Amino acid sequence: MGGQKQIPISLKNVSLSFSGKKVLDDISFEVKSGEKIILSGKSGSGKSTIFNIILGFVQPDSGELLFDSEKIDDKHVWEVRKKISYIDQESSLGIGNTLDYLMFISGLKTNLQKEFSLNRINELLEYFELENEVLNKNLEKLSGGERQRIAIMISILLERKVFLLDEVTSAVDVFLKKKIAKYYLNKDDWTCLIISHDPIWLENSSTKIFEMDTSSWAQ
Amino acid sequence: MGAIDIAFSSLLFSFFLLAIPILLSIKYGFGLIKPLLLAVFRMCIQLVLIGIFLKYLFIWNNSIVNICWIIIMVTAAVFSVLKDSALRVRKVFMPVFITFFITIFSVVVYLNFMVIKLNNIFDAKYLIILSGMLLGSSLRGCIVGISYFYKSIKKDSKRFLYILALGADRNEVILPYLKESIQLALKPRIATMATMGIVALPGMMTGVILGGGSPVDAIKYQIMVMVSVVACATATVILSVLVTLKICFDKYGILQMDVFTDSDKNMPAQKNKTWSGL
Repeated sequence: MGGQKQIPISLKNVSLSFSGKKVLDDISFEVKSGEKIILSGKSGSGKSTIFNIILGFVQPDSGELLFDSEKIDDKHVWEVRKKISYIDQESSLGIGNTLDYLMFISGLKTNLQKEFSLNRINELLEYFELENEVLNKNLEKLSGGERQRIAIMISILLERKVFLLDEVTSAVDVFLKKKIAKYYLNKDDWTCLIISHDPIWLENSSTKIFEMDTSSWAQ
Repeated sequence: MGAIDIAFSSLLFSFFLLAIPILLSIKYGFGLIKPLLLAVFRMCIQLVLIGIFLKYLFIWNNSIVNICWIIIMVTAAVFSVLKDSALRVRKVFMPVFITFFITIFSVVVYLNFMVIKLNNIFDAKYLIILSGMLLGSSLRGCIVGISYFYKSIKKDSKRFLYILALGADRNEVILPYLKESIQLALKPRIATMATMGIVALPGMMTGVILGGGSPVDAIKYQIMVMVSVVACATATVILSVLVTLKICFDKYGILQMDVFTDSDKNMPAQKNKTWSGL
Protein backbone atom coordinates (compact mmCIF):
# COMPACT_ATOMS: atom_id res chain seq x y z
CA MET A 1 0.00 0.00 0.00
CA GLY A 2 2.54 2.62 1.26
CA GLY A 3 0.97 5.93 0.18
CA GLN A 4 -0.80 4.17 -2.66
CA LYS A 5 -4.54 3.79 -2.74
CA GLN A 6 -5.92 0.68 -1.07
CA ILE A 7 -7.15 -2.08 -3.35
CA PRO A 8 -10.40 -3.52 -1.98
CA ILE A 9 -10.97 -5.93 -4.87
CA SER A 10 -8.46 -7.70 -7.03
CA LEU A 11 -8.95 -10.54 -9.52
CA LYS A 12 -5.95 -12.31 -11.00
CA ASN A 13 -6.41 -14.66 -13.96
CA VAL A 14 -9.82 -15.84 -12.83
CA SER A 15 -11.48 -18.53 -14.97
CA LEU A 16 -14.69 -20.44 -14.49
CA SER A 17 -16.64 -22.92 -16.58
CA PHE A 18 -20.12 -24.29 -16.15
CA SER A 19 -21.18 -27.50 -17.83
CA GLY A 20 -18.24 -27.25 -20.18
CA LYS A 21 -18.96 -23.61 -21.15
CA LYS A 22 -16.36 -21.01 -20.24
CA VAL A 23 -18.11 -18.26 -18.31
CA LEU A 24 -15.01 -16.37 -17.22
CA ASP A 25 -11.82 -16.64 -19.22
CA ASP A 26 -8.66 -15.39 -17.55
CA ILE A 27 -10.14 -12.21 -16.08
CA SER A 28 -7.80 -9.86 -14.21
CA PHE A 29 -8.48 -6.41 -12.82
CA GLU A 30 -8.06 -4.32 -9.73
CA VAL A 31 -10.52 -1.96 -8.12
CA LYS A 32 -8.87 0.80 -6.12
CA SER A 33 -10.51 2.44 -3.15
CA GLY A 34 -13.07 5.06 -4.20
CA GLU A 35 -13.15 3.96 -7.84
CA LYS A 36 -16.39 3.61 -9.76
CA ILE A 37 -16.16 0.84 -12.29
CA ILE A 38 -18.67 -0.36 -14.84
CA LEU A 39 -18.45 -4.00 -15.89
CA SER A 40 -19.41 -4.03 -19.52
CA GLY A 41 -20.10 -6.94 -21.83
CA LYS A 42 -22.74 -8.92 -23.66
CA SER A 43 -25.31 -10.72 -21.60
CA GLY A 44 -23.81 -14.05 -20.55
CA SER A 45 -20.32 -12.56 -20.50
CA GLY A 46 -20.07 -13.35 -16.79
CA LYS A 47 -20.63 -9.94 -15.26
CA SER A 48 -22.92 -11.15 -12.48
CA THR A 49 -20.65 -14.16 -12.02
CA ILE A 50 -17.88 -11.78 -10.97
CA PHE A 51 -20.14 -10.58 -8.15
CA ASN A 52 -21.03 -14.17 -7.23
CA ILE A 53 -17.36 -15.06 -7.03
CA ILE A 54 -16.46 -12.06 -4.87
CA LEU A 55 -19.29 -12.98 -2.48
CA GLY A 56 -18.25 -16.64 -2.38
CA PHE A 57 -21.45 -17.98 -3.97
CA VAL A 58 -19.34 -19.78 -6.57
CA GLN A 59 -15.68 -20.63 -6.61
CA PRO A 60 -13.51 -20.09 -9.66
CA ASP A 61 -11.76 -23.01 -11.33
CA SER A 62 -8.49 -21.12 -11.27
CA GLY A 63 -7.06 -17.72 -10.48
CA GLU A 64 -6.86 -15.64 -7.36
CA LEU A 65 -9.33 -13.32 -5.68
CA LEU A 66 -8.33 -10.79 -3.08
CA PHE A 67 -10.37 -8.52 -0.86
CA ASP A 68 -8.40 -5.87 1.01
CA SER A 69 -5.31 -7.74 -0.16
CA GLU A 70 -6.41 -10.97 1.51
CA LYS A 71 -7.40 -14.11 -0.35
CA ILE A 72 -11.15 -14.77 -0.34
CA ASP A 73 -11.47 -18.29 1.03
CA ASP A 74 -14.13 -20.17 3.00
CA LYS A 75 -13.17 -18.36 6.22
CA HIS A 76 -12.42 -14.86 4.96
CA VAL A 77 -15.56 -14.76 2.82
CA TRP A 78 -17.77 -14.32 5.91
CA GLU A 79 -15.84 -11.12 6.75
CA VAL A 80 -15.83 -9.98 3.12
CA ARG A 81 -19.63 -10.17 3.01
CA LYS A 82 -19.81 -7.89 6.04
CA LYS A 83 -17.89 -5.21 4.17
CA ILE A 84 -19.85 -5.28 0.94
CA SER A 85 -23.23 -3.83 0.03
CA TYR A 86 -24.68 -5.99 -2.70
CA ILE A 87 -27.80 -5.61 -4.78
CA ASP A 88 -28.66 -8.40 -7.19
CA GLN A 89 -30.37 -8.06 -10.53
CA GLU A 90 -33.84 -8.83 -9.21
CA SER A 91 -33.43 -6.90 -5.96
CA SER A 92 -34.24 -10.16 -4.17
CA LEU A 93 -35.51 -8.96 -0.86
CA GLY A 94 -37.34 -11.13 1.64
CA ILE A 95 -41.04 -11.54 2.10
CA GLY A 96 -43.43 -9.82 4.46
CA ASN A 97 -43.67 -6.29 5.77
CA THR A 98 -41.01 -3.88 4.48
CA LEU A 99 -40.26 -2.27 7.84
CA ASP A 100 -40.04 -5.68 9.51
CA TYR A 101 -37.52 -6.71 6.90
CA LEU A 102 -35.45 -3.58 7.50
CA MET A 103 -35.52 -4.38 11.20
CA PHE A 104 -34.47 -7.96 10.50
CA ILE A 105 -31.45 -6.65 8.60
CA SER A 106 -30.60 -4.14 11.30
CA GLY A 107 -30.84 -6.98 13.84
CA LEU A 108 -28.08 -9.01 12.18
CA LYS A 109 -25.05 -9.02 14.47
CA THR A 110 -22.84 -7.31 11.95
CA ASN A 111 -25.29 -4.40 11.60
CA LEU A 112 -26.07 -3.78 15.25
CA GLN A 113 -23.90 -0.68 15.35
CA LYS A 114 -25.45 0.79 12.20
CA GLU A 115 -27.97 3.57 12.35
CA PHE A 116 -31.24 2.15 11.05
CA SER A 117 -33.26 4.89 12.74
CA LEU A 118 -36.66 5.90 11.40
CA ASN A 119 -35.28 9.40 10.79
CA ARG A 120 -32.54 8.06 8.56
CA ILE A 121 -34.98 5.75 6.79
CA ASN A 122 -37.40 8.61 6.17
CA GLU A 123 -34.61 10.78 4.87
CA LEU A 124 -33.70 8.14 2.30
CA LEU A 125 -37.34 7.48 1.42
CA GLU A 126 -37.68 11.14 0.62
CA TYR A 127 -34.52 11.31 -1.46
CA PHE A 128 -35.50 8.27 -3.51
CA GLU A 129 -39.06 9.58 -3.92
CA LEU A 130 -40.78 6.79 -2.04
CA GLU A 131 -43.96 7.22 -0.04
CA ASN A 132 -43.78 6.47 3.67
CA GLU A 133 -46.49 3.87 3.15
CA VAL A 134 -44.09 1.46 1.45
CA LEU A 135 -42.80 0.64 4.91
CA ASN A 136 -46.14 -0.89 5.81
CA LYS A 137 -46.56 -2.73 2.53
CA ASN A 138 -45.50 -6.31 1.88
CA LEU A 139 -42.29 -6.58 -0.12
CA GLU A 140 -43.99 -8.92 -2.58
CA LYS A 141 -46.58 -6.24 -3.31
CA LEU A 142 -44.04 -3.55 -4.21
CA SER A 143 -43.45 -2.64 -7.85
CA GLY A 144 -40.08 -3.46 -9.40
CA GLY A 145 -39.00 0.17 -9.13
CA GLU A 146 -40.04 0.41 -5.49
CA ARG A 147 -38.23 -2.81 -4.63
CA GLN A 148 -35.13 -1.57 -6.39
CA ARG A 149 -35.16 1.63 -4.36
CA ILE A 150 -35.70 -0.24 -1.08
CA ALA A 151 -32.70 -2.43 -1.95
CA ILE A 152 -30.71 0.74 -2.68
CA MET A 153 -31.77 2.21 0.66
CA ILE A 154 -30.65 -0.95 2.44
CA SER A 155 -27.28 -0.83 0.68
CA ILE A 156 -26.83 2.71 2.00
CA LEU A 157 -28.13 2.01 5.51
CA LEU A 158 -25.51 -0.73 5.88
CA GLU A 159 -22.84 2.02 5.93
CA ARG A 160 -20.35 -0.06 4.02
CA LYS A 161 -17.71 1.24 1.65
CA VAL A 162 -17.72 -1.31 -1.15
CA PHE A 163 -20.75 -1.72 -3.41
CA LEU A 164 -21.64 -4.41 -5.93
CA LEU A 165 -24.59 -3.04 -7.88
CA ASP A 166 -26.24 -5.30 -10.45
CA GLU A 167 -28.72 -3.42 -12.68
CA VAL A 168 -30.04 -1.30 -9.84
CA THR A 169 -31.64 1.34 -12.06
CA SER A 170 -33.36 -0.91 -14.59
CA ALA A 171 -36.91 -0.43 -13.29
CA VAL A 172 -37.01 3.31 -12.55
CA ASP A 173 -37.54 6.37 -14.75
CA VAL A 174 -34.76 8.56 -16.11
CA PHE A 175 -35.15 11.16 -13.39
CA LEU A 176 -34.65 8.55 -10.67
CA LYS A 177 -31.86 6.81 -12.58
CA LYS A 178 -29.95 10.10 -12.44
CA LYS A 179 -30.64 10.61 -8.77
CA ILE A 180 -29.57 7.08 -7.87
CA ALA A 181 -26.38 7.18 -9.96
CA LYS A 182 -25.50 10.57 -8.52
CA TYR A 183 -25.92 9.30 -4.98
CA TYR A 184 -23.34 6.56 -5.44
CA LEU A 185 -20.99 8.39 -7.78
CA ASN A 186 -20.69 11.48 -5.60
CA LYS A 187 -19.36 9.59 -2.61
CA ASP A 188 -15.61 9.78 -3.01
CA ASP A 189 -14.81 7.09 -0.46
CA TRP A 190 -17.28 4.55 -1.86
CA THR A 191 -15.88 1.88 -4.13
CA CYS A 192 -18.50 0.78 -6.63
CA LEU A 193 -18.49 -2.10 -9.07
CA ILE A 194 -21.48 -1.56 -11.32
CA ILE A 195 -23.32 -3.66 -13.86
CA SER A 196 -25.77 -1.54 -15.81
CA HIS A 197 -27.09 -0.92 -19.26
CA ASP A 198 -27.99 2.65 -18.31
CA PRO A 199 -25.58 5.20 -19.86
CA ILE A 200 -26.40 7.48 -16.94
CA TRP A 201 -23.62 5.87 -14.90
CA LEU A 202 -21.07 7.02 -17.48
CA GLU A 203 -21.88 10.69 -17.06
CA ASN A 204 -19.32 10.91 -14.33
CA SER A 205 -15.98 11.41 -16.01
CA SER A 206 -14.05 9.42 -13.46
CA THR A 207 -16.06 6.23 -14.06
CA LYS A 208 -13.95 3.52 -15.64
CA ILE A 209 -15.20 0.76 -17.87
CA PHE A 210 -13.92 -2.78 -17.78
CA GLU A 211 -14.69 -4.80 -20.91
CA MET A 212 -15.49 -8.37 -19.94
CA ASP A 213 -15.25 -9.70 -23.48
CA THR A 214 -11.64 -8.63 -23.90
CA SER A 215 -10.74 -8.56 -20.21
CA SER A 216 -9.35 -5.06 -20.57
CA TRP A 217 -10.06 -1.43 -19.68
CA ALA A 218 -12.01 0.59 -22.23
CA GLN A 219 -10.33 3.59 -24.01
CA MET B 1 -60.76 -56.01 32.99
CA GLY B 2 -59.66 -55.74 29.38
CA ALA B 3 -61.54 -55.35 26.17
CA ILE B 4 -63.94 -58.08 25.08
CA ASP B 5 -62.05 -60.43 22.83
CA ILE B 6 -63.19 -60.36 19.21
CA ALA B 7 -63.35 -63.82 17.68
CA PHE B 8 -61.54 -64.12 14.34
CA SER B 9 -64.79 -65.25 12.76
CA SER B 10 -66.49 -62.15 14.09
CA LEU B 11 -63.70 -59.94 12.78
CA LEU B 12 -64.78 -61.00 9.31
CA PHE B 13 -67.98 -59.03 9.83
CA SER B 14 -65.96 -55.83 10.06
CA PHE B 15 -64.76 -56.46 6.51
CA PHE B 16 -68.38 -56.27 5.31
CA LEU B 17 -68.12 -52.54 5.99
CA LEU B 18 -65.75 -52.37 3.03
CA ALA B 19 -68.83 -52.96 0.90
CA ILE B 20 -69.64 -49.26 1.35
CA PRO B 21 -66.57 -47.83 -0.38
CA ILE B 22 -66.54 -50.68 -2.90
CA LEU B 23 -70.16 -50.25 -3.97
CA LEU B 24 -69.84 -46.47 -4.13
CA SER B 25 -66.67 -46.79 -6.14
CA ILE B 26 -68.40 -49.12 -8.61
CA LYS B 27 -71.40 -46.82 -8.93
CA TYR B 28 -69.40 -43.59 -9.41
CA GLY B 29 -66.29 -45.06 -10.98
CA PHE B 30 -63.85 -43.70 -8.41
CA GLY B 31 -61.31 -46.38 -9.29
CA LEU B 32 -60.70 -46.99 -5.60
CA ILE B 33 -61.27 -50.70 -5.38
CA LYS B 34 -57.83 -52.00 -6.32
CA PRO B 35 -55.73 -49.61 -4.19
CA LEU B 36 -58.20 -49.99 -1.33
CA LEU B 37 -58.13 -53.77 -1.29
CA LEU B 38 -54.38 -53.78 -1.66
CA ALA B 39 -54.03 -51.39 1.28
CA VAL B 40 -56.41 -53.46 3.42
CA PHE B 41 -54.46 -56.59 2.56
CA ARG B 42 -51.13 -54.98 3.44
CA MET B 43 -52.51 -53.57 6.67
CA CYS B 44 -53.81 -56.98 7.77
CA ILE B 45 -50.55 -58.78 7.04
CA GLN B 46 -48.45 -56.09 8.73
CA LEU B 47 -50.67 -55.93 11.80
CA VAL B 48 -50.85 -59.69 12.18
CA LEU B 49 -47.07 -59.90 11.99
CA ILE B 50 -46.56 -57.05 14.40
CA GLY B 51 -49.19 -58.57 16.72
CA ILE B 52 -47.34 -61.85 16.86
CA PHE B 53 -44.05 -60.03 17.24
CA LEU B 54 -45.28 -57.78 20.04
CA LYS B 55 -46.77 -60.75 21.83
CA TYR B 56 -43.32 -62.32 22.09
CA LEU B 57 -41.63 -59.02 22.89
CA PHE B 58 -44.01 -58.66 25.84
CA ILE B 59 -43.44 -62.25 26.96
CA TRP B 60 -39.63 -61.97 26.81
CA ASN B 61 -39.63 -58.40 28.08
CA ASN B 62 -35.88 -58.18 27.63
CA SER B 63 -34.51 -54.63 27.84
CA ILE B 64 -31.89 -55.16 25.15
CA VAL B 65 -34.38 -56.72 22.75
CA ASN B 66 -36.77 -53.86 23.43
CA ILE B 67 -34.14 -51.24 22.66
CA CYS B 68 -33.16 -53.12 19.50
CA TRP B 69 -36.76 -53.02 18.39
CA ILE B 70 -36.84 -49.26 18.93
CA ILE B 71 -33.74 -48.94 16.77
CA ILE B 72 -35.57 -50.80 14.01
CA MET B 73 -38.64 -48.58 14.39
CA VAL B 74 -36.51 -45.43 14.29
CA THR B 75 -34.66 -46.68 11.21
CA ALA B 76 -37.95 -47.23 9.39
CA ALA B 77 -39.21 -43.83 10.52
CA VAL B 78 -36.10 -42.00 9.36
CA PHE B 79 -36.25 -43.71 5.96
CA SER B 80 -39.83 -42.59 5.66
CA VAL B 81 -38.97 -38.98 6.60
CA LEU B 82 -36.06 -38.77 4.19
CA LYS B 83 -37.91 -40.50 1.36
CA ASP B 84 -40.51 -37.76 1.41
CA SER B 85 -38.10 -34.93 2.08
CA ALA B 86 -36.36 -35.03 -1.32
CA LEU B 87 -33.01 -35.34 0.44
CA ARG B 88 -30.61 -38.11 -0.43
CA VAL B 89 -31.00 -40.81 2.23
CA ARG B 90 -27.36 -41.86 1.93
CA LYS B 91 -26.15 -38.34 2.73
CA VAL B 92 -28.15 -37.51 5.81
CA PHE B 93 -29.41 -40.80 7.25
CA MET B 94 -26.98 -41.14 10.15
CA PRO B 95 -27.35 -37.71 11.78
CA VAL B 96 -31.14 -37.78 11.44
CA PHE B 97 -31.26 -41.31 12.84
CA ILE B 98 -29.21 -40.31 15.89
CA THR B 99 -31.42 -37.25 16.41
CA PHE B 100 -34.60 -39.30 16.31
CA PHE B 101 -33.27 -42.09 18.48
CA ILE B 102 -31.91 -39.83 21.20
CA THR B 103 -35.02 -37.63 21.26
CA ILE B 104 -37.62 -40.40 21.32
CA PHE B 105 -35.67 -42.66 23.62
CA SER B 106 -34.91 -40.00 26.20
CA VAL B 107 -38.48 -38.66 26.23
CA VAL B 108 -39.94 -42.16 26.70
CA VAL B 109 -37.46 -43.05 29.43
CA TYR B 110 -38.28 -39.74 31.10
CA LEU B 111 -42.03 -40.50 30.94
CA ASN B 112 -41.53 -44.02 32.27
CA PHE B 113 -39.34 -42.81 35.10
CA MET B 114 -40.84 -39.48 36.11
CA VAL B 115 -44.48 -39.66 35.05
CA ILE B 116 -45.59 -43.30 35.04
CA LYS B 117 -42.93 -44.21 37.64
CA LEU B 118 -42.27 -47.73 36.36
CA ASN B 119 -39.98 -50.08 38.24
CA ASN B 120 -38.46 -51.20 34.97
CA ILE B 121 -38.22 -48.17 32.70
CA PHE B 122 -37.39 -50.47 29.78
CA ASP B 123 -40.61 -52.45 30.18
CA ALA B 124 -41.67 -53.57 26.72
CA LYS B 125 -45.30 -52.54 27.02
CA TYR B 126 -44.51 -48.95 27.82
CA LEU B 127 -41.19 -48.48 26.09
CA ILE B 128 -42.27 -49.86 22.73
CA ILE B 129 -45.84 -48.61 22.64
CA LEU B 130 -44.98 -45.09 23.72
CA SER B 131 -41.98 -44.92 21.40
CA GLY B 132 -44.14 -46.05 18.50
CA MET B 133 -46.73 -43.47 19.31
CA LEU B 134 -44.27 -40.58 19.64
CA LEU B 135 -42.37 -41.69 16.58
CA GLY B 136 -45.50 -41.88 14.46
CA SER B 137 -46.66 -38.48 15.58
CA SER B 138 -43.28 -36.75 15.22
CA LEU B 139 -42.83 -38.25 11.79
CA ARG B 140 -45.37 -36.17 9.92
CA GLY B 141 -44.20 -32.94 11.48
CA CYS B 142 -40.62 -33.77 10.73
CA ILE B 143 -41.32 -34.58 7.08
CA VAL B 144 -43.11 -31.25 6.66
CA GLY B 145 -40.46 -29.31 8.58
CA ILE B 146 -37.28 -30.68 7.05
CA SER B 147 -38.73 -30.72 3.51
CA TYR B 148 -39.93 -27.15 3.77
CA PHE B 149 -36.62 -25.97 5.17
CA TYR B 150 -34.45 -27.30 2.36
CA LYS B 151 -36.93 -26.87 -0.46
CA SER B 152 -37.66 -23.26 0.43
CA ILE B 153 -33.98 -22.35 0.57
CA LYS B 154 -33.50 -24.03 -2.79
CA LYS B 155 -36.52 -22.35 -4.29
CA ASP B 156 -35.65 -18.95 -2.86
CA SER B 157 -31.99 -19.20 -3.65
CA LYS B 158 -31.69 -15.50 -4.52
CA ARG B 159 -33.34 -14.38 -1.31
CA PHE B 160 -31.12 -16.71 0.67
CA LEU B 161 -27.97 -15.48 -1.06
CA TYR B 162 -29.01 -11.90 -0.46
CA ILE B 163 -29.20 -12.50 3.30
CA LEU B 164 -25.78 -14.15 3.13
CA ALA B 165 -24.45 -11.16 1.24
CA LEU B 166 -25.80 -8.86 3.93
CA GLY B 167 -23.22 -10.40 6.23
CA ALA B 168 -25.47 -12.79 8.15
CA ASP B 169 -23.61 -15.57 9.95
CA ARG B 170 -24.46 -19.25 9.57
CA ASN B 171 -27.18 -19.20 12.20
CA GLU B 172 -28.71 -15.90 11.18
CA VAL B 173 -29.12 -16.87 7.57
CA ILE B 174 -31.06 -20.06 8.30
CA LEU B 175 -33.15 -18.67 11.14
CA PRO B 176 -36.01 -17.22 9.04
CA TYR B 177 -36.33 -20.54 7.20
CA LEU B 178 -36.11 -22.60 10.39
CA LYS B 179 -38.81 -20.47 11.97
CA GLU B 180 -41.18 -20.97 9.04
CA SER B 181 -40.46 -24.71 8.99
CA ILE B 182 -41.21 -25.15 12.67
CA GLN B 183 -44.43 -23.18 12.43
CA LEU B 184 -45.56 -25.23 9.46
CA ALA B 185 -44.63 -28.52 11.13
CA LEU B 186 -46.29 -27.77 14.45
CA LYS B 187 -49.40 -25.89 13.35
CA PRO B 188 -51.51 -29.00 12.67
CA ARG B 189 -50.27 -30.59 15.92
CA ILE B 190 -51.30 -27.57 17.93
CA ALA B 191 -54.63 -27.36 16.12
CA THR B 192 -55.33 -31.03 16.87
CA MET B 193 -54.45 -30.47 20.51
CA ALA B 194 -56.83 -27.55 20.75
CA THR B 195 -59.81 -29.56 19.49
CA MET B 196 -58.93 -32.80 21.25
CA GLY B 197 -61.81 -34.50 22.96
CA ILE B 198 -64.42 -32.45 21.13
CA VAL B 199 -63.81 -33.20 17.50
CA ALA B 200 -62.08 -36.52 17.96
CA LEU B 201 -61.43 -39.08 20.60
CA PRO B 202 -57.74 -39.83 20.25
CA GLY B 203 -56.45 -43.34 19.65
CA MET B 204 -54.55 -43.60 22.90
CA MET B 205 -57.65 -42.77 24.91
CA THR B 206 -59.83 -45.14 22.92
CA GLY B 207 -57.28 -47.86 23.56
CA VAL B 208 -57.11 -47.31 27.30
CA ILE B 209 -60.91 -47.18 27.66
CA LEU B 210 -61.52 -50.29 25.53
CA GLY B 211 -58.68 -51.95 27.43
CA GLY B 212 -60.72 -51.54 30.59
CA GLY B 213 -59.20 -48.37 32.01
CA SER B 214 -61.42 -45.63 33.34
CA PRO B 215 -61.92 -42.50 31.23
CA VAL B 216 -59.98 -40.57 33.88
CA ASP B 217 -56.96 -42.86 33.45
CA ALA B 218 -57.39 -42.55 29.70
CA ILE B 219 -57.35 -38.76 29.91
CA LYS B 220 -54.19 -38.73 32.00
CA TYR B 221 -52.40 -40.90 29.46
CA GLN B 222 -53.71 -38.81 26.62
CA ILE B 223 -52.52 -35.55 28.16
CA MET B 224 -49.10 -37.05 28.79
CA VAL B 225 -48.89 -38.29 25.22
CA MET B 226 -50.05 -35.01 23.65
CA VAL B 227 -47.50 -32.96 25.54
CA SER B 228 -44.74 -35.43 24.71
CA VAL B 229 -45.70 -35.46 21.05
CA VAL B 230 -45.34 -31.70 20.76
CA ALA B 231 -42.00 -31.83 22.58
CA CYS B 232 -40.71 -34.65 20.36
CA ALA B 233 -42.02 -33.12 17.15
CA THR B 234 -40.38 -29.76 17.90
CA ALA B 235 -37.10 -31.33 18.96
CA THR B 236 -36.88 -33.71 16.00
CA VAL B 237 -37.61 -31.00 13.42
CA ILE B 238 -35.12 -28.50 14.84
CA LEU B 239 -32.40 -31.05 15.56
CA SER B 240 -32.80 -32.82 12.21
CA VAL B 241 -32.25 -29.52 10.45
CA LEU B 242 -29.34 -28.54 12.66
CA VAL B 243 -27.51 -31.85 12.35
CA THR B 244 -27.86 -31.89 8.57
CA LEU B 245 -26.64 -28.32 8.04
CA LYS B 246 -22.98 -29.27 7.97
CA ILE B 247 -23.64 -31.89 5.31
CA CYS B 248 -26.03 -29.87 3.19
CA PHE B 249 -24.17 -26.54 3.14
CA ASP B 250 -20.56 -25.97 2.16
CA LYS B 251 -18.07 -23.85 4.08
CA TYR B 252 -19.17 -20.78 2.14
CA GLY B 253 -22.71 -21.27 3.45
CA ILE B 254 -24.06 -22.41 0.07
CA LEU B 255 -26.65 -25.19 -0.20
CA GLN B 256 -25.25 -28.18 -2.07
CA MET B 257 -27.41 -29.53 -4.86
CA ASP B 258 -26.07 -33.06 -4.51
CA VAL B 259 -27.95 -33.53 -1.24
CA PHE B 260 -31.20 -33.62 -3.20
CA THR B 261 -32.48 -36.70 -4.96
CA ASP B 262 -32.20 -36.50 -8.74
CA SER B 263 -35.92 -36.11 -9.18
CA ASP B 264 -35.83 -33.03 -7.02
CA LYS B 265 -32.88 -31.24 -8.46
CA ASN B 266 -34.81 -29.74 -11.35
CA MET B 267 -31.63 -28.17 -12.50
CA PRO B 268 -29.09 -28.96 -15.16
CA ALA B 269 -25.99 -30.58 -13.76
CA GLN B 270 -23.68 -27.85 -12.64
CA LYS B 271 -20.06 -28.24 -11.97
CA ASN B 272 -20.04 -26.74 -8.52
CA LYS B 273 -23.40 -28.22 -7.71
CA THR B 274 -24.60 -24.93 -6.35
CA TRP B 275 -27.51 -22.93 -7.63
CA SER B 276 -26.19 -19.44 -7.38
CA GLY B 277 -27.74 -17.51 -10.23
CA LEU B 278 -25.19 -16.87 -12.88
